[in-house]
Amino acid sequence: MVAPGVLALAATTTFPLLYLVWQSLQNINLAMPGMDRYVGLENYVRMWDDARFWAALGFTIVYAASTVLLQLVLGLGMALLILRIPRAQWAFRIAAILPIVIAPVVAGLFWRSLMLTPDFGVVDFASKALGLGSHNWLGDPALARVSVIAIHTWQWTPFVFLYMLAALAALPSELYEAARIDRASAWRRFVHITLPLIRPAIVVVVILRMTVALSAFAAIYAATGGGPGTATEILNLYAYRVSFAELSLGYGASAAVVLLAMTMAVAAVLFGLRRSS
Amino acid sequence: MRKRTFQNAILIGCGAILLALWTIPIAWAVLTSLKDEKEVLAYPPTVIFEATLKNFHAVLFGPTNIVANLTSSVIIALAATALTIVIAVPAAYAFARLRLRAKRPLGFYVLATQLVPPIGLIIPYFLILNRIGWMDSYKGLVLVYMTFSLPFAIWLLVSYFEDIPREMEEAALLDRASRWQAFWHVVLPQVRGAIAVTVIFVFLNAWNEFLFAVVLGGANVKPVTVSMYNYINTEQTQWAQLAAAALIAMLPVIVLGLLAQKHIVSGLTAGAVKGVGRR
Repeated sequence: MVAPGVLALAATTTFPLLYLVWQSLQNINLAMPGMDRYVGLENYVRMWDDARFWAALGFTIVYAASTVLLQLVLGLGMALLILRIPRAQWAFRIAAILPIVIAPVVAGLFWRSLMLTPDFGVVDFASKALGLGSHNWLGDPALARVSVIAIHTWQWTPFVFLYMLAALAALPSELYEAARIDRASAWRRFVHITLPLIRPAIVVVVILRMTVALSAFAAIYAATGGGPGTATEILNLYAYRVSFAELSLGYGASAAVVLLAMTMAVAAVLFGLRRSS
Repeated sequence: MRKRTFQNAILIGCGAILLALWTIPIAWAVLTSLKDEKEVLAYPPTVIFEATLKNFHAVLFGPTNIVANLTSSVIIALAATALTIVIAVPAAYAFARLRLRAKRPLGFYVLATQLVPPIGLIIPYFLILNRIGWMDSYKGLVLVYMTFSLPFAIWLLVSYFEDIPREMEEAALLDRASRWQAFWHVVLPQVRGAIAVTVIFVFLNAWNEFLFAVVLGGANVKPVTVSMYNYINTEQTQWAQLAAAALIAMLPVIVLGLLAQKHIVSGLTAGAVKGVGRR
Protein backbone atom coordinates (compact mmCIF):
# COMPACT_ATOMS: atom_id res chain seq x y z
CA MET A 1 0.00 0.00 0.00
CA VAL A 2 2.96 2.30 0.50
CA ALA A 3 4.32 1.55 -2.93
CA PRO A 4 1.98 3.69 -5.09
CA GLY A 5 2.53 6.69 -2.85
CA VAL A 6 6.29 6.37 -2.79
CA LEU A 7 6.46 5.67 -6.51
CA ALA A 8 4.30 8.71 -7.23
CA LEU A 9 6.54 10.87 -5.05
CA ALA A 10 9.67 9.52 -6.68
CA ALA A 11 8.29 10.18 -10.14
CA THR A 12 6.82 13.62 -9.48
CA THR A 13 9.41 15.03 -7.09
CA THR A 14 12.67 13.12 -6.84
CA PHE A 15 13.16 12.62 -10.55
CA PRO A 16 12.60 16.32 -11.41
CA LEU A 17 14.99 17.30 -8.61
CA LEU A 18 17.72 15.07 -10.00
CA TYR A 19 17.01 16.61 -13.37
CA LEU A 20 17.34 20.05 -11.73
CA VAL A 21 20.82 19.18 -10.49
CA TRP A 22 21.72 17.99 -13.99
CA GLN A 23 20.32 21.23 -15.45
CA SER A 24 22.46 23.26 -13.07
CA LEU A 25 25.54 21.72 -14.71
CA GLN A 26 24.43 22.86 -18.16
CA ASN A 27 24.39 26.07 -20.06
CA ILE A 28 20.72 26.32 -21.06
CA ASN A 29 19.55 29.55 -22.59
CA LEU A 30 15.94 29.63 -23.70
CA ALA A 31 16.74 32.40 -26.17
CA MET A 32 19.15 30.04 -27.94
CA PRO A 33 17.41 26.66 -28.18
CA GLY A 34 19.52 23.71 -29.24
CA MET A 35 22.68 25.32 -27.87
CA ASP A 36 22.59 23.49 -24.53
CA ARG A 37 25.94 22.15 -23.43
CA TYR A 38 27.53 20.62 -20.36
CA VAL A 39 29.61 23.17 -18.47
CA GLY A 40 30.35 21.39 -15.20
CA LEU A 41 30.40 23.70 -12.22
CA GLU A 42 30.62 26.86 -14.29
CA ASN A 43 27.20 28.12 -13.15
CA TYR A 44 28.23 27.75 -9.51
CA VAL A 45 31.50 29.57 -10.10
CA ARG A 46 29.59 32.37 -11.79
CA MET A 47 27.16 32.50 -8.87
CA TRP A 48 30.04 32.78 -6.39
CA ASP A 49 31.08 36.04 -8.09
CA ASP A 50 27.52 37.34 -8.53
CA ALA A 51 26.78 40.14 -6.06
CA ARG A 52 23.08 39.85 -6.87
CA PHE A 53 23.07 36.20 -5.74
CA TRP A 54 24.65 37.11 -2.41
CA ALA A 55 22.18 39.95 -1.92
CA ALA A 56 19.30 37.53 -2.62
CA LEU A 57 20.77 34.98 -0.21
CA GLY A 58 21.14 37.68 2.44
CA PHE A 59 17.60 38.91 2.02
CA THR A 60 16.28 35.33 2.06
CA ILE A 61 17.87 34.85 5.48
CA VAL A 62 16.59 38.20 6.75
CA TYR A 63 13.12 37.53 5.32
CA ALA A 64 12.79 34.01 6.73
CA ALA A 65 14.23 34.85 10.15
CA SER A 66 12.28 38.06 10.64
CA THR A 67 8.92 36.78 9.39
CA VAL A 68 9.12 33.61 11.49
CA LEU A 69 10.20 35.49 14.60
CA LEU A 70 7.49 38.13 14.14
CA GLN A 71 4.81 35.52 13.51
CA LEU A 72 5.87 33.57 16.58
CA VAL A 73 6.03 36.56 18.95
CA LEU A 74 2.85 38.19 17.65
CA GLY A 75 0.92 34.94 17.26
CA LEU A 76 1.83 33.71 20.75
CA GLY A 77 1.15 37.15 22.22
CA MET A 78 -2.25 37.28 20.58
CA ALA A 79 -3.10 33.77 21.73
CA LEU A 80 -2.20 34.65 25.34
CA LEU A 81 -4.27 37.81 25.06
CA ILE A 82 -7.33 36.21 23.47
CA LEU A 83 -7.22 33.36 25.98
CA ARG A 84 -8.13 35.96 28.62
CA ILE A 85 -11.23 37.17 26.80
CA PRO A 86 -12.99 33.84 26.18
CA ARG A 87 -16.27 35.48 25.19
CA ALA A 88 -14.74 37.13 22.11
CA GLN A 89 -12.68 34.11 20.98
CA TRP A 90 -15.05 33.10 18.20
CA ALA A 91 -14.61 36.46 16.45
CA PHE A 92 -10.84 36.07 16.42
CA ARG A 93 -10.99 32.48 15.25
CA ILE A 94 -13.11 33.49 12.29
CA ALA A 95 -11.05 36.59 11.50
CA ALA A 96 -7.91 34.46 11.67
CA ILE A 97 -9.18 32.10 8.98
CA LEU A 98 -9.47 34.85 6.37
CA PRO A 99 -5.79 35.75 5.76
CA ILE A 100 -4.77 32.07 5.97
CA VAL A 101 -7.08 30.85 3.22
CA ILE A 102 -6.52 33.72 0.81
CA ALA A 103 -4.13 33.03 -2.06
CA PRO A 104 -0.75 34.70 -1.42
CA VAL A 105 -0.90 36.32 -4.86
CA VAL A 106 -4.21 37.94 -3.92
CA ALA A 107 -2.82 39.05 -0.57
CA GLY A 108 0.14 40.61 -2.37
CA LEU A 109 -2.12 42.41 -4.85
CA PHE A 110 -4.46 43.70 -2.13
CA TRP A 111 -1.55 45.13 -0.20
CA ARG A 112 0.17 46.54 -3.23
CA SER A 113 -2.90 48.44 -4.39
CA LEU A 114 -5.43 49.03 -1.65
CA MET A 115 -3.06 49.33 1.29
CA LEU A 116 0.28 50.67 0.13
CA THR A 117 -0.24 52.82 -2.97
CA PRO A 118 1.02 56.30 -2.06
CA ASP A 119 -1.98 58.21 -3.47
CA PHE A 120 -5.00 56.25 -2.30
CA GLY A 121 -3.75 53.42 -0.09
CA VAL A 122 -5.13 52.98 3.40
CA VAL A 123 -1.73 52.58 5.04
CA ASP A 124 -0.43 55.70 3.34
CA PHE A 125 -3.51 57.58 4.45
CA ALA A 126 -3.04 56.40 8.02
CA SER A 127 0.64 57.34 7.91
CA LYS A 128 -0.25 60.86 6.77
CA ALA A 129 -2.99 61.17 9.36
CA LEU A 130 -0.50 60.18 12.06
CA GLY A 131 1.89 62.85 10.82
CA LEU A 132 4.44 60.36 9.45
CA GLY A 133 4.00 61.57 5.91
CA SER A 134 3.43 59.85 2.60
CA HIS A 135 5.99 57.24 1.54
CA ASN A 136 6.73 55.19 -1.51
CA TRP A 137 6.14 51.96 0.39
CA LEU A 138 7.04 49.59 -2.41
CA GLY A 139 9.27 51.90 -4.45
CA ASP A 140 11.93 52.68 -1.88
CA PRO A 141 14.32 49.72 -1.47
CA ALA A 142 14.47 49.72 2.34
CA LEU A 143 10.74 50.36 2.78
CA ALA A 144 9.89 47.75 0.15
CA ARG A 145 11.81 45.14 2.15
CA VAL A 146 9.91 46.10 5.30
CA SER A 147 6.64 46.01 3.34
CA VAL A 148 7.08 42.49 1.95
CA ILE A 149 8.07 41.25 5.41
CA ALA A 150 4.95 42.93 6.82
CA ILE A 151 2.71 41.35 4.17
CA HIS A 152 4.00 37.84 4.90
CA THR A 153 3.66 38.44 8.63
CA TRP A 154 0.12 39.75 8.18
CA GLN A 155 -0.93 36.71 6.22
CA TRP A 156 0.54 33.99 8.42
CA THR A 157 0.49 35.27 12.01
CA PRO A 158 -3.16 34.11 12.30
CA PHE A 159 -1.98 30.55 11.61
CA VAL A 160 0.50 30.72 14.49
CA PHE A 161 -2.19 32.33 16.62
CA LEU A 162 -4.63 29.47 16.03
CA TYR A 163 -1.91 26.88 16.58
CA MET A 164 -0.81 28.49 19.85
CA LEU A 165 -4.38 29.03 21.03
CA ALA A 166 -4.97 25.30 20.61
CA ALA A 167 -1.70 24.41 22.34
CA LEU A 168 -2.39 26.76 25.25
CA ALA A 169 -5.99 25.59 25.66
CA ALA A 170 -4.75 22.01 26.03
CA LEU A 171 -2.47 22.82 28.98
CA PRO A 172 -3.54 21.50 32.40
CA SER A 173 -5.00 24.32 34.48
CA GLU A 174 -4.00 22.73 37.83
CA LEU A 175 -0.42 23.85 37.34
CA TYR A 176 -1.49 27.46 37.09
CA GLU A 177 -3.63 27.27 40.18
CA ALA A 178 -0.71 25.93 42.16
CA ALA A 179 1.48 28.72 40.83
CA ARG A 180 -1.14 31.32 41.63
CA ILE A 181 -1.36 30.07 45.20
CA ASP A 182 2.40 30.45 45.35
CA ARG A 183 1.88 34.03 44.15
CA ALA A 184 4.06 33.68 41.11
CA SER A 185 3.81 36.72 38.86
CA ALA A 186 2.20 36.48 35.43
CA TRP A 187 5.60 36.78 33.73
CA ARG A 188 7.13 34.05 35.88
CA ARG A 189 4.15 31.79 35.29
CA PHE A 190 4.68 32.31 31.57
CA VAL A 191 8.42 31.68 31.59
CA HIS A 192 8.50 28.78 34.04
CA ILE A 193 5.25 26.96 33.30
CA THR A 194 3.76 27.91 29.95
CA LEU A 195 6.88 28.23 27.85
CA PRO A 196 8.43 24.83 28.72
CA LEU A 197 5.06 23.12 28.18
CA ILE A 198 4.44 24.61 24.76
CA ARG A 199 8.03 24.26 23.61
CA PRO A 200 7.21 21.26 21.39
CA ALA A 201 4.40 23.25 19.76
CA ILE A 202 6.78 26.16 19.20
CA VAL A 203 9.33 23.87 17.53
CA VAL A 204 6.65 22.46 15.23
CA VAL A 205 5.34 25.86 14.30
CA VAL A 206 8.84 27.20 13.63
CA ILE A 207 9.55 24.25 11.30
CA LEU A 208 6.30 24.82 9.41
CA ARG A 209 6.69 28.57 9.15
CA MET A 210 10.39 28.44 8.26
CA THR A 211 9.82 26.13 5.31
CA VAL A 212 6.90 28.23 4.09
CA ALA A 213 8.96 31.42 4.37
CA LEU A 214 11.80 29.80 2.42
CA SER A 215 9.44 28.84 -0.38
CA ALA A 216 7.53 32.14 -0.41
CA PHE A 217 7.02 33.55 -3.86
CA ALA A 218 3.60 34.80 -4.96
CA ALA A 219 3.05 37.58 -2.41
CA ILE A 220 6.40 39.23 -3.16
CA TYR A 221 5.92 38.65 -6.87
CA ALA A 222 2.55 40.40 -6.71
CA ALA A 223 3.65 43.24 -4.44
CA THR A 224 7.03 44.22 -5.88
CA GLY A 225 8.05 41.61 -8.45
CA GLY A 226 11.39 41.48 -6.61
CA GLY A 227 12.01 45.18 -7.07
CA PRO A 228 12.62 48.02 -6.92
CA GLY A 229 15.64 46.82 -8.88
CA THR A 230 16.54 43.66 -7.01
CA ALA A 231 15.79 44.96 -3.49
CA THR A 232 13.17 42.39 -2.49
CA GLU A 233 14.60 39.41 -4.34
CA ILE A 234 14.64 36.34 -2.18
CA LEU A 235 16.36 33.32 -3.75
CA ASN A 236 13.05 32.08 -5.18
CA LEU A 237 12.48 35.30 -7.08
CA TYR A 238 16.13 35.50 -8.08
CA ALA A 239 16.02 31.99 -9.57
CA TYR A 240 12.67 32.74 -11.20
CA ARG A 241 13.81 35.98 -12.81
CA VAL A 242 17.12 34.55 -13.99
CA SER A 243 15.33 31.53 -15.47
CA PHE A 244 12.20 33.01 -16.98
CA ALA A 245 12.91 36.72 -17.47
CA GLU A 246 16.58 36.45 -18.46
CA LEU A 247 16.03 32.95 -19.88
CA SER A 248 19.23 31.48 -18.35
CA LEU A 249 17.59 28.28 -17.19
CA GLY A 250 20.82 26.49 -16.33
CA TYR A 251 22.06 29.33 -14.16
CA GLY A 252 18.63 29.64 -12.53
CA ALA A 253 18.74 25.93 -11.77
CA SER A 254 22.00 26.31 -9.87
CA ALA A 255 20.40 29.03 -7.70
CA ALA A 256 17.45 26.70 -7.07
CA VAL A 257 19.85 23.92 -6.04
CA VAL A 258 21.43 26.24 -3.46
CA LEU A 259 17.98 27.14 -2.10
CA LEU A 260 17.02 23.47 -1.99
CA ALA A 261 20.16 22.61 -0.04
CA MET A 262 19.48 25.48 2.35
CA THR A 263 15.89 24.41 2.97
CA MET A 264 16.92 20.82 3.63
CA ALA A 265 19.69 21.92 6.00
CA VAL A 266 17.33 24.14 7.98
CA ALA A 267 14.76 21.34 8.10
CA ALA A 268 17.36 18.82 9.29
CA VAL A 269 18.48 21.14 12.10
CA LEU A 270 14.91 21.83 13.17
CA PHE A 271 13.99 18.15 13.09
CA GLY A 272 17.00 17.43 15.25
CA LEU A 273 15.67 19.99 17.71
CA ARG A 274 12.25 18.38 17.56
CA ARG A 275 13.56 14.94 18.36
CA SER A 276 15.59 16.20 21.30
CA SER A 277 12.65 18.13 22.78
CA MET B 1 -11.45 45.98 41.39
CA ARG B 2 -10.69 49.15 39.48
CA LYS B 3 -7.41 47.61 38.39
CA ARG B 4 -9.34 44.64 36.94
CA THR B 5 -11.62 46.82 34.82
CA PHE B 6 -8.64 48.85 33.63
CA GLN B 7 -6.82 45.66 32.62
CA ASN B 8 -9.89 44.40 30.82
CA ALA B 9 -10.27 47.67 28.93
CA ILE B 10 -6.66 47.38 27.72
CA LEU B 11 -7.21 43.76 26.73
CA ILE B 12 -10.32 44.59 24.75
CA GLY B 13 -8.58 47.58 23.15
CA CYS B 14 -5.61 45.45 22.02
CA GLY B 15 -7.98 42.79 20.79
CA ALA B 16 -9.95 45.31 18.75
CA ILE B 17 -6.76 46.64 17.13
CA LEU B 18 -5.66 43.12 16.19
CA LEU B 19 -9.05 42.31 14.76
CA ALA B 20 -8.89 45.47 12.68
CA LEU B 21 -5.38 44.69 11.40
CA TRP B 22 -6.46 41.27 10.19
CA THR B 23 -9.70 42.28 8.60
CA ILE B 24 -9.05 45.77 7.16
CA PRO B 25 -7.25 44.64 3.97
CA ILE B 26 -10.09 42.24 3.17
CA ALA B 27 -12.88 44.56 4.26
CA TRP B 28 -11.27 47.29 2.17
CA ALA B 29 -11.22 44.99 -0.84
CA VAL B 30 -14.96 44.45 -0.36
CA LEU B 31 -15.54 48.21 -0.28
CA THR B 32 -13.30 48.76 -3.30
CA SER B 33 -15.14 46.12 -5.30
CA LEU B 34 -18.34 48.13 -4.83
CA LYS B 35 -16.79 51.40 -6.00
CA ASP B 36 -16.59 53.17 -9.30
CA GLU B 37 -13.00 53.14 -10.68
CA LYS B 38 -12.78 56.92 -10.10
CA GLU B 39 -13.99 56.56 -6.54
CA VAL B 40 -11.13 54.10 -5.86
CA LEU B 41 -8.58 56.82 -6.55
CA ALA B 42 -10.31 59.41 -4.35
CA TYR B 43 -8.27 61.04 -1.65
CA PRO B 44 -8.83 60.78 1.25
CA PRO B 45 -10.08 57.18 0.80
CA THR B 46 -13.86 57.11 1.01
CA VAL B 47 -15.92 54.82 3.22
CA ILE B 48 -19.29 56.27 2.26
CA PHE B 49 -20.04 56.26 -1.46
CA GLU B 50 -22.63 55.20 -3.94
CA ALA B 51 -22.25 51.43 -4.15
CA THR B 52 -22.39 49.71 -7.52
CA LEU B 53 -22.38 46.09 -8.59
CA LYS B 54 -21.04 46.84 -12.06
CA ASN B 55 -17.55 45.53 -11.24
CA PHE B 56 -18.97 42.13 -10.38
CA HIS B 57 -21.05 42.28 -13.53
CA ALA B 58 -17.99 43.11 -15.63
CA VAL B 59 -15.91 40.37 -14.02
CA LEU B 60 -18.57 37.71 -14.60
CA PHE B 61 -20.12 38.80 -17.89
CA GLY B 62 -17.87 41.48 -19.40
CA PRO B 63 -15.26 41.05 -22.15
CA THR B 64 -12.50 40.30 -19.61
CA ASN B 65 -14.59 37.93 -17.48
CA ILE B 66 -12.99 35.23 -15.35
CA VAL B 67 -15.54 32.46 -15.91
CA ALA B 68 -13.18 30.35 -18.03
CA ASN B 69 -10.48 30.83 -15.41
CA LEU B 70 -12.80 29.73 -12.63
CA THR B 71 -13.66 26.64 -14.66
CA SER B 72 -9.97 25.85 -15.15
CA SER B 73 -9.34 26.23 -11.43
CA VAL B 74 -12.25 23.95 -10.58
CA ILE B 75 -11.08 21.24 -12.99
CA ILE B 76 -7.47 21.34 -11.83
CA ALA B 77 -8.21 21.56 -8.13
CA LEU B 78 -10.79 18.75 -8.24
CA ALA B 79 -8.61 16.44 -10.34
CA ALA B 80 -5.52 17.07 -8.22
CA THR B 81 -7.50 16.51 -5.02
CA ALA B 82 -9.09 13.27 -6.23
CA LEU B 83 -5.78 11.81 -7.42
CA THR B 84 -4.02 12.87 -4.26
CA ILE B 85 -6.59 11.29 -1.96
CA VAL B 86 -6.66 8.00 -3.89
CA ILE B 87 -2.89 7.64 -3.55
CA ALA B 88 -2.38 9.26 -0.15
CA VAL B 89 -5.00 7.46 1.95
CA PRO B 90 -3.64 3.91 1.54
CA ALA B 91 -0.07 5.18 1.76
CA ALA B 92 -0.76 7.03 5.01
CA TYR B 93 -2.55 4.02 6.46
CA ALA B 94 0.38 1.79 5.61
CA PHE B 95 2.83 4.23 7.18
CA ALA B 96 0.79 4.36 10.35
CA ARG B 97 0.22 0.62 10.67
CA LEU B 98 2.59 -1.69 8.94
CA ARG B 99 5.76 -2.55 10.76
CA LEU B 100 8.03 -1.87 7.89
CA ARG B 101 11.72 -1.74 8.58
CA ALA B 102 11.95 1.16 6.17
CA LYS B 103 9.20 3.12 7.93
CA ARG B 104 11.42 5.79 9.43
CA PRO B 105 13.47 6.69 6.34
CA LEU B 106 10.31 6.55 4.23
CA GLY B 107 8.57 8.91 6.62
CA PHE B 108 11.48 11.32 6.43
CA TYR B 109 11.44 11.05 2.66
CA VAL B 110 7.76 12.04 2.53
CA LEU B 111 8.45 14.99 4.81
CA ALA B 112 11.50 16.09 2.86
CA THR B 113 9.55 16.11 -0.40
CA GLN B 114 7.03 18.37 1.27
CA LEU B 115 9.73 20.91 2.01
CA VAL B 116 11.04 21.27 -1.53
CA PRO B 117 10.75 24.93 -2.60
CA PRO B 118 8.52 25.17 -5.71
CA ILE B 119 11.17 27.00 -7.72
CA GLY B 120 13.29 23.84 -7.52
CA LEU B 121 10.54 21.95 -9.34
CA ILE B 122 9.36 24.58 -11.75
CA ILE B 123 12.66 24.75 -13.65
CA PRO B 124 12.89 21.02 -14.44
CA TYR B 125 9.14 20.76 -15.09
CA PHE B 126 9.35 23.61 -17.56
CA LEU B 127 11.67 21.53 -19.74
CA ILE B 128 10.00 18.19 -19.03
CA LEU B 129 6.51 19.41 -19.93
CA ASN B 130 7.88 21.17 -23.00
CA ARG B 131 9.52 17.95 -24.13
CA ILE B 132 6.44 15.75 -23.67
CA GLY B 133 4.09 18.42 -25.00
CA TRP B 134 2.13 18.89 -21.78
CA MET B 135 2.68 22.62 -21.42
CA ASP B 136 -0.48 24.67 -20.96
CA SER B 137 -2.55 21.52 -20.40
CA TYR B 138 -4.71 20.22 -17.56
CA LYS B 139 -2.78 16.96 -17.22
CA GLY B 140 0.48 18.91 -16.95
CA LEU B 141 -0.69 21.17 -14.15
CA VAL B 142 -2.44 18.36 -12.27
CA LEU B 143 0.75 16.30 -12.41
CA VAL B 144 2.80 19.21 -11.09
CA TYR B 145 0.27 19.98 -8.33
CA MET B 146 0.75 16.44 -7.03
CA THR B 147 4.28 17.43 -6.04
CA PHE B 148 3.01 19.54 -3.17
CA SER B 149 -0.38 17.98 -2.44
CA LEU B 150 0.73 14.35 -2.14
CA PRO B 151 3.39 14.66 0.58
CA PHE B 152 1.15 17.12 2.42
CA ALA B 153 -1.83 14.76 2.36
CA ILE B 154 0.21 11.72 3.41
CA TRP B 155 1.77 13.60 6.29
CA LEU B 156 -1.55 14.99 7.51
CA LEU B 157 -3.36 11.64 7.24
CA VAL B 158 -0.68 9.60 9.03
CA SER B 159 -1.31 11.52 12.25
CA TYR B 160 -5.03 10.73 12.04
CA PHE B 161 -4.50 7.04 11.29
CA GLU B 162 -2.15 6.75 14.24
CA ASP B 163 -4.91 7.94 16.55
CA ILE B 164 -7.22 5.05 15.66
CA PRO B 165 -7.00 2.11 18.05
CA ARG B 166 -5.74 -1.06 16.40
CA GLU B 167 -8.08 -3.48 18.22
CA MET B 168 -10.97 -3.34 15.77
CA GLU B 169 -8.96 -4.10 12.67
CA GLU B 170 -7.01 -6.77 14.51
CA ALA B 171 -10.32 -8.40 15.36
CA ALA B 172 -11.31 -8.18 11.70
CA LEU B 173 -8.00 -9.71 10.67
CA LEU B 174 -8.58 -12.59 13.10
CA ASP B 175 -11.91 -13.13 11.35
CA ARG B 176 -9.87 -13.78 8.21
CA ALA B 177 -10.53 -10.47 6.59
CA SER B 178 -7.71 -9.41 4.29
CA ARG B 179 -5.67 -6.28 4.98
CA TRP B 180 -7.62 -4.49 2.26
CA GLN B 181 -10.97 -5.63 3.62
CA ALA B 182 -10.03 -4.51 7.11
CA PHE B 183 -8.87 -1.20 5.72
CA TRP B 184 -11.99 -0.67 3.61
CA HIS B 185 -14.69 -1.79 6.07
CA VAL B 186 -13.17 -1.08 9.46
CA VAL B 187 -10.60 1.69 9.18
CA LEU B 188 -11.95 3.97 6.45
CA PRO B 189 -15.31 4.66 8.13
CA GLN B 190 -13.41 5.94 11.17
CA VAL B 191 -11.33 8.45 9.26
CA ARG B 192 -14.06 10.01 7.12
CA GLY B 193 -13.72 13.28 9.00
CA ALA B 194 -9.95 13.27 8.63
CA ILE B 195 -10.22 12.64 4.91
CA ALA B 196 -12.73 15.48 4.60
CA VAL B 197 -10.27 17.84 6.32
CA THR B 198 -7.46 16.63 4.05
CA VAL B 199 -9.63 17.13 0.97
CA ILE B 200 -10.36 20.69 2.03
CA PHE B 201 -6.69 21.54 2.59
CA VAL B 202 -5.51 19.92 -0.64
CA PHE B 203 -8.24 21.64 -2.64
CA LEU B 204 -7.44 24.96 -1.00
CA ASN B 205 -3.72 24.71 -1.76
CA ALA B 206 -4.38 23.70 -5.36
CA TRP B 207 -6.89 26.52 -5.81
CA ASN B 208 -4.51 29.12 -4.43
CA GLU B 209 -1.40 27.98 -6.32
CA PHE B 210 0.19 30.65 -8.47
CA LEU B 211 3.83 30.02 -9.46
CA PHE B 212 3.29 26.72 -11.32
CA ALA B 213 0.16 28.10 -12.96
CA VAL B 214 1.83 31.27 -14.22
CA VAL B 215 4.85 29.46 -15.69
CA LEU B 216 3.34 26.16 -16.87
CA GLY B 217 -0.15 27.37 -17.77
CA GLY B 218 -0.94 29.60 -20.71
CA ALA B 219 -3.75 30.69 -22.95
CA ASN B 220 -5.65 27.38 -22.70
CA VAL B 221 -5.25 26.68 -19.02
CA LYS B 222 -5.16 29.81 -16.95
CA PRO B 223 -6.26 29.31 -13.34
CA VAL B 224 -8.08 32.12 -11.64
CA THR B 225 -5.08 33.20 -9.53
CA VAL B 226 -3.24 34.09 -12.73
CA SER B 227 -6.26 35.81 -14.26
CA MET B 228 -5.97 38.60 -11.67
CA TYR B 229 -3.29 40.02 -13.93
CA ASN B 230 -5.89 40.60 -16.66
CA TYR B 231 -6.84 43.75 -14.79
CA ILE B 232 -3.31 45.07 -14.45
CA ASN B 233 -1.55 46.56 -17.41
CA THR B 234 0.89 49.33 -18.04
CA GLU B 235 -1.63 51.96 -19.20
CA GLN B 236 -4.25 51.53 -16.57
CA THR B 237 -5.02 49.20 -13.71
CA GLN B 238 -8.65 48.55 -12.89
CA TRP B 239 -8.42 48.18 -9.14
CA ALA B 240 -12.16 47.94 -8.52
CA GLN B 241 -12.57 45.14 -11.05
CA LEU B 242 -9.45 43.46 -9.70
CA ALA B 243 -10.93 43.57 -6.20
CA ALA B 244 -14.23 42.14 -7.44
CA ALA B 245 -12.46 39.36 -9.36
CA ALA B 246 -10.24 38.55 -6.38
CA LEU B 247 -13.23 38.33 -4.04
CA ILE B 248 -15.11 36.00 -6.39
CA ALA B 249 -11.96 33.90 -6.81
CA MET B 250 -11.45 33.70 -3.05
CA LEU B 251 -15.07 32.99 -2.17
CA PRO B 252 -14.74 29.17 -2.46
CA VAL B 253 -11.66 28.99 -0.24
CA ILE B 254 -13.12 31.39 2.32
CA VAL B 255 -16.30 29.30 2.51
CA LEU B 256 -14.26 26.07 2.80
CA GLY B 257 -12.02 27.62 5.45
CA LEU B 258 -14.99 28.73 7.52
CA LEU B 259 -16.75 25.38 7.11
CA ALA B 260 -13.63 23.53 8.23
CA GLN B 261 -12.87 26.06 10.96
CA LYS B 262 -13.48 23.67 13.88
CA HIS B 263 -11.54 20.90 12.17
CA ILE B 264 -8.64 23.18 11.37
CA VAL B 265 -8.25 24.00 15.04
CA SER B 266 -8.74 20.45 16.30
CA GLY B 267 -6.45 19.12 13.59
CA LEU B 268 -3.83 21.59 14.68
CA THR B 269 -4.19 20.53 18.31
CA ALA B 270 -3.59 16.89 17.47
CA GLY B 271 -0.35 17.74 15.73
CA ALA B 272 0.78 20.36 18.22
CA VAL B 273 0.23 18.76 21.55
CA LYS B 274 -0.28 15.04 21.18
CA GLY B 275 1.73 14.25 18.09
CA VAL B 276 5.05 15.61 19.21
CA GLY B 277 5.82 13.30 22.08
CA ARG B 278 5.12 10.26 20.01
CA ARG B 279 7.38 10.83 17.07
